[in-house]
This record gives sequence, structure tokens and C-alpha cells, in this order.
Amino acid sequence: MKKALLIVILTVVAFGILNAETKLKMELWNRWTYQTIDGEVTKNEMALKRGYLRLEPKFGNNIKGRFNVDFFSDDDALDGVGLKLKYAYLDFSNILPIKDSKITVGLMKTYFGTIYDWTYQTIDKDPSDKYKFVSSTDYGFGITGYLPNGFGSYALAAYNGEGYKKTAGDINKDLNFVANLRVTPIAGVTVGGSYMMKTKKDSEIADSLGTMIDNPDREEYSMIASVGKFAFGPFSLLAQYLMKDKNKPNVDDYEKVNTTAMSFLPVFKVNNNFDILARYDIYDPDMETDDDGYNTIVAGFNYHIMRDAKNNPKLFVQTNYQMKQYEADDSDDVSELMVQLRWIFSETINKGK
Amino acid sequence: MKKIVILLTLFALIAVPVLAKKGNKITIAGSTTVLPIAQATAEVFMNNNPEINISVRGGGSSVGIAAIMAGTVDIGNASRHIKAKELASAREQGINPYENIVANDGIVIVIHKDNNVKDLTLEQVKDIYTGKISNWKEVGGPAMPIVVISRDVSSGTFEVFNKIVLNNAKCIDGALMLASNNAVVSTIATTPGAIGYAGLGYLNETVNAVKINGIMPSKATIQSLQYPIARTLHMYTNGAPRGLAKRYIDFILSAEGQKIVEEQGFISVE
Repeated sequence: MKKALLIVILTVVAFGILNAETKLKMELWNRWTYQTIDGEVTKNEMALKRGYLRLEPKFGNNIKGRFNVDFFSDDDALDGVGLKLKYAYLDFSNILPIKDSKITVGLMKTYFGTIYDWTYQTIDKDPSDKYKFVSSTDYGFGITGYLPNGFGSYALAAYNGEGYKKTAGDINKDLNFVANLRVTPIAGVTVGGSYMMKTKKDSEIADSLGTMIDNPDREEYSMIASVGKFAFGPFSLLAQYLMKDKNKPNVDDYEKVNTTAMSFLPVFKVNNNFDILARYDIYDPDMETDDDGYNTIVAGFNYHIMRDAKNNPKLFVQTNYQMKQYEADDSDDVSELMVQLRWIFSETINKGK
Repeated sequence: MKKIVILLTLFALIAVPVLAKKGNKITIAGSTTVLPIAQATAEVFMNNNPEINISVRGGGSSVGIAAIMAGTVDIGNASRHIKAKELASAREQGINPYENIVANDGIVIVIHKDNNVKDLTLEQVKDIYTGKISNWKEVGGPAMPIVVISRDVSSGTFEVFNKIVLNNAKCIDGALMLASNNAVVSTIATTPGAIGYAGLGYLNETVNAVKINGIMPSKATIQSLQYPIARTLHMYTNGAPRGLAKRYIDFILSAEGQKIVEEQGFISVE
């Protein structure tokens, strides 16, 4: 099903590029990382940590596509380089009798927490991505839209559940479901929440005689993200609390694992080109186990060298100092200094076609 | 304690210049349709208030709204309403876009001066722009292929035309997409089979305007909303206008300001 869906979308996108207004966009992240553990230099690396090529064909005003290939070249990747298909979806607007809503089909965003609109103000990933709560994109379909008068947004979606990376071992026949709501009652104050039901492995497998039996490896997850955003003048604060319950329903004495993460991201915008920021994350992979988690403290700044006419970033430098502090006494803190140059360029072809 | 004092001092050094009140300057950007209103009113307003400086630039409605969202201007001009996505994003960022209607405008369907077609229906205009009608003889005109001229898709004029006339249908391949109202009018003036659209303020004697559904675009028919392709023109501020921006917008909405609006070829707000 995944392959068939992908082929259909790629065909439509390829046709679209030739015949429709299409936005081409490329973004590259050149990063220097200097890491030390207990005073020892453990990494001193320059790499293309991420780059992507994005095509957004517009088939009239009601159908829009996005096709995105991610590539990277660094020491962690197999053979030093990597390539992944990140997005391949179509948006259908004005189909439902709900104002400002759309239907999305394909390899699409996961509408959980803040992963779907994370802009990497710090170099690090969104918390639900970093702590492996969800994959940032997955194959599925969903309805998204905006509440009237700018009061917020919503999303309801169903996904395969395997994400877009190496997931063959997790494949099953069950869909995952997510519901997401964000409300901005007054400008600058946003609260939101997401709920996701996720499974790994089929609930039944065939034994050596071909009889279907309960699969002891079956995993069921229930995940919640609570989001608070506050923005007043040049100050903003993003706070997020994530919770994940893991259960193995076919294992009688299995004790649920409860994972939590908290993240705080204050930003002070000195001017349109310079932001000072910090981030503090607390991660506990198992609430019942002591000394298994870690905290991360980040301090840094973003300096925008160039922006486009709509004030979108075109060229900017991000500098982050990051310290990872383990709860366990026998684990050493990890310090990282990262300097990243991000550059973005885009062009629209076949304008108005 | 010493650390706290140092931190507070550093914070004050950074924050005070940021939060400090700007000088007597108003910055404006956005819609090319609203641009002549902004320029003409700014000129008179600055003459009346020499201590105030107003900087006006175009860029298009999307640029005006983006600039308000980014806080880089005091006023963002737009010839369309803010979109749901823009509004939700702005409010999340602590920006409360406030729509100030400063003028009315009609989008006039314009043809070459020698073309004898006087009247089209909204449906016929849509059929021309979607390619169903390709010769003037199909709408009672001369046997001559129709040259379709449109605005670039980022313009507010296009968005309004697209919504009211095209009903989001796809414009014909091969249509000329021009970057300004002036470019549309001047191209039609030199292209016998051409049809295009532009704000009422850009209409001049080098081209002909056609009636739509039997109604001629005029001040009266636009203000009364009888004319089918009418719109409001906006200046967005972050929240209800305050300070200098309020003084300037109040001036535009005054009798003197609305006279300037009309001199620029637009329709005053009642």
C-alpha cells in the first residue's frame, strides 16, 4: 500500500512540476560540532547535517503537493552520506463543507505536539522527535484546519505508524491515530494538546503449525503532548510536556513503562536579525527507574544575515552551547558547541499556470 | 547576588534599546494597489506634521501582512483580507492583526479601446480566463483571438479576482501574468485582442472598461456593492492603531484623507 501510494504521489508530483506552478526550495545546514566528555574531545566534525530539496506543485488553488528529499553527509551516516524521502503528500482544500479546512494524503506531517511546525530555533530537534515519541512524518491521511478568527488550529489523522525511517521491524496492520488542537484565546497565549494511539507489531502471529497466537512482542502506546506558548513583544516562551505509556498487552506480568519529557524554550528577539535563546529539557525514559534520564541545557543565538521579502530566513548563523547532564552519577556530562550556517533559496516556476 | 546584578545589568543593556520607543517614524509596506493611497496621504500628512517621517514601500499584500507579523513595520497594506493561516500564526506570535478599511475598490475588466464589446457576464469572464471562450466573436465582439492578461499570483488583486470571478478555477495556460495594475492597463492599450483586470483607480482613457452583469463599475455601484467585483482595501496594524499610526490612519479616514483616496481613483469609505 505504501509503495502504491508513493508511486501515485510521485507521478502526480512529476506531472505537476511540468504543468503547474511549482515552488522549488532548497535548504542546507552546514554544521561544526565540537564535543567534549569529561574534558576529552570526542567529536570535532564539520558536516552537512541536513539538506533538503523541496518541490511544491500547485494544481489550481484547491490542490497542492509537497515532495521533499532529505540528504545529509556526516560521519554518523552509513558510507558518510544518506538520502531519505521526507514528504510526499497532496493537500485538497475546499472539499469539506468546513471553512479553512483541507484533506491531506500521503507521506505527511505528524500532528503531535510541536513536531509539525518546529522551526529549529535551537539546532536541536523538537522534543517529541528527539526523545523518539513520534516520527516527524508518516504515510497517512488527515483533516486539518483553522478555527475562526485566528483562535487556533486542529488536526485529525490516521497513519501507517512506521514513520519514514528504518522501521521494517515495527510494521503491522494497525493504523495509528492522532488528534491535535491548539487554541489561542488571546494573541500571544496559546495552549494545545495532542493525543496519539500507536502500535508496533501485529497482535497475533502464526506459530510453527500455522495457528494464530497472541504475539508477545506486540506493543501499544498512548501518548499525550501538552503545549503552552507565550509571546509578548520581543519575548517568547514555548513549554511542552510529553507523556508516553508503553504496554505489552500479550505479556501477563508486563508493567507499563511511563516515559516523560519536559522542554522550555525562551527566546528574546533583540531585533529582526538577532535572537538570544535558551532551552532546558528534562527527559525520563522510565518513571519507575532511578537515574536513567538526563537533562539538556542549551544557550545560543541566531543571527540572520539575509531574509526574503516576506521576512523568511534566507541565510543565518546559529550558535548553540549544549550540555547534557545524566542523572546517573557514573555518567559524565557531554558538552557540545555547535555553529551552523543555514542557507535557503527558493524559486517559483510556471507562475500562475 | 553579584551574579544576579550582572545578569540584570546585561538584560537591561539589551532590552532597553529594544523596548525603547521609536522616533517619529511610521513604516508602511505591502499591497501595490494600496501603495498610491499610502504615498499620497503620507505626503500630505508629513506636510501637515513636519516632525513625522513616513516610509512607504510596496511588495504586495502578502509582504505587508508578513511584515506586520514580523513586527518590522507599523502598518501592513493589503488589498485582500488576512488568511486564516496567517491570522492563526500571527496570534500565536503575539501579534493581533487589526484590519483598518481605508478605501473601497472595484476590479474593472478592461479591454482594448477598439474592441466593441460593452458588456460581459461574470460567467463569461470566467470562461475567458479558463479557456472555454477563446474568441471575441463568442461574446458578440469581432472575430479575433482573445489575449488573456492576468496579475501575478502573489498580488492581492489576483486573489480577489480569483475568488470572485474564477471561483478558484485554474487560469488558462499561456495567460500573461503581469506584476502591476499599470502594466496590465498599458499592455491592453497596445494589444487589440487583450482582456485584463485592474483596480478602478488605474482605469484611463487608453482602454475600455466593460459592464459586468449589466453594471458599470463606478463609485456608486462599488459603494453600494451592486458591482460584482468590488473589494475593500486595508491597512493592518498590530492591535487597534495607537500613537502615530493612529494619527495617520485617522487622517486617511478624515474628509481630507478620503478626498485624497478619491483623487487616487479609489472609492471612499462611507
